Amino acid sequence: MSSITSEAIPQLQQRLNTAQPLKLARKTGLTLLKVGLYAGGLFAIWYLVYLLMVEVFQVWISALFPAPVDVLVSLVDHAADGSLWRAASASLARLFIGFGIALPAGILIGMGLAWGRWFRSLVGPIVLGFQALPSVCWIPLAILWFGLNERAIIFVVVMGSIFSVTIATYDSTKLIPPLLLKAASNMGVKGLAVFSRVVLPASLPAIISGARQGWSFAWRSLLGGELLTAGIGLGNLLNQGRDLTDMALVMAVMLVIIALGLLFDQLVITRFEAYIRQRYGLVSRSL
Amino acid sequence: MSTTELQVRTSQPAATPGIPRLSLEGISKTFRSGNTRMTALDNINLEVTPGEFVCLVGPSGCGKSTILNLVAGLEEPDSGKILINGQPVTGPHPDRLLLFQEPALFPWLDVIGNIEFGLKSVGINGKERRERALEYLAKVHLHKFAKFRVHQLSGGMRQRVAIARALAINPQVLLMDEPFSALDAQTRDILHTELQQLWTETGKTILFVTHNVREAVTLGDRIVLFTYRPGRIKAEFSTAHLPRPRHLEGQAQTKLVREIMGELQGEVQLAVASEYGDARLRVDL
Repeated sequence: MSSITSEAIPQLQQRLNTAQPLKLARKTGLTLLKVGLYAGGLFAIWYLVYLLMVEVFQVWISALFPAPVDVLVSLVDHAADGSLWRAASASLARLFIGFGIALPAGILIGMGLAWGRWFRSLVGPIVLGFQALPSVCWIPLAILWFGLNERAIIFVVVMGSIFSVTIATYDSTKLIPPLLLKAASNMGVKGLAVFSRVVLPASLPAIISGARQGWSFAWRSLLGGELLTAGIGLGNLLNQGRDLTDMALVMAVMLVIIALGLLFDQLVITRFEAYIRQRYGLVSRSL
Repeated sequence: MSTTELQVRTSQPAATPGIPRLSLEGISKTFRSGNTRMTALDNINLEVTPGEFVCLVGPSGCGKSTILNLVAGLEEPDSGKILINGQPVTGPHPDRLLLFQEPALFPWLDVIGNIEFGLKSVGINGKERRERALEYLAKVHLHKFAKFRVHQLSGGMRQRVAIARALAINPQVLLMDEPFSALDAQTRDILHTELQQLWTETGKTILFVTHNVREAVTLGDRIVLFTYRPGRIKAEFSTAHLPRPRHLEGQAQTKLVREIMGELQGEVQLAVASEYGDARLRVDL
């Protein structure tokens, strides 16, 4: 006996694959155009408000509400003299170290919550409690423990993001189809192997969503930490703008913070999420 | 592959002559939910010889699936013994594999990865694991789909992968819980033929639960009919006189199907009356 579709499907698959790149290029071009139009529109509105409030009616002063061009000039200046790069790379280094600790640790604690009732009743309330605590509240403690240094800020980043990853991981384990666990148990999978071979891969798509949330929490905590402590960084550059009443610099740094946050979210996390969801068959691909 | 080759590669104890592959001795099982008690199985005695294909038929709620869960070791009986080759069942073990209505494949693995998952669980590794997985994938005629993701397959193909995953582990007993009931009629016909072929080829002992009397007569050597709550064995039927391979619409089966349907009628009537709370509601099979 032979199966009916075994010949047709690989061919269909191949046709689908060759059609992809062209479609993708066109789609990327269109997306870029849309983003450009959108950003241009926002800047136009900003400039219009500047014209009306600063130039025409003179209710605001340009030192406190700069024109888009002033912000752009400040951005270019600080990029050219290297201060922006130094600040951004110092901040990103802290962020990656902090998030790099929080992500695996959060997943591990989340799995622990799913694993045992006693672990859940001991650690669960702590996780919920700390998740309710805004991350900047860790700063006084971090400064007293570690001093005004890198470790204090990294600690704040970790505490700011770890619990959201933990909760997302634990929640995702509750959504695993019981039939998959039953099938694995039936095949003799037990103990830790249940976690490494079934629970972790089954909850991966939801864990990635949790990672995205953790990332944005880490980003916020980092800036909070940097604003309240010293050392080179984007938060410090913001403070410098405040001290010099350099609103163009303040806004330029804010734009950089938005851009970096979005870039990582869109280019790394969203793409990885889409890839995983496609592999798991969680997206309906229209043929 | 011949049966002798298969025996050589089996890591499990071979069948001892005279001892049934599977025996249920006085099995009873009651479920409690709050204050209500429901006796699912009452004193079930059943022996299955090595290589036998036994179908369990009965109305919904007669405890057929409970028997499979008990044999799989996923639940424990309140009383009675379950023996595999004379050895008592003490929990889940890959020598008794359960196949469900849903294929229960892992979406993060490709097709071959799913079959290897089972083999890895029983400690088969390295080159042998890949070879054996491919061999069994070929048995269900899906070797061209080894690298496909699960969601790219049709429902029938997924169920065939699940069958290959189970057979590759080489269980003593294969437990099938309405494995084809979620499939369309045409796919089901094909799978009936394929399953009979696989069964002849591998000589597996199969316990197959179904609602469908025609399906039971098509597949089974023996059909065991259950009563509605509590589940007891009402009658057994042999299909030894019917030639194989059989097809769902085969004329030779019709007489036996009618006979079993007649016995089943009363039980289904009880089930309907209990479920709808209305004894006047008639169902004709």
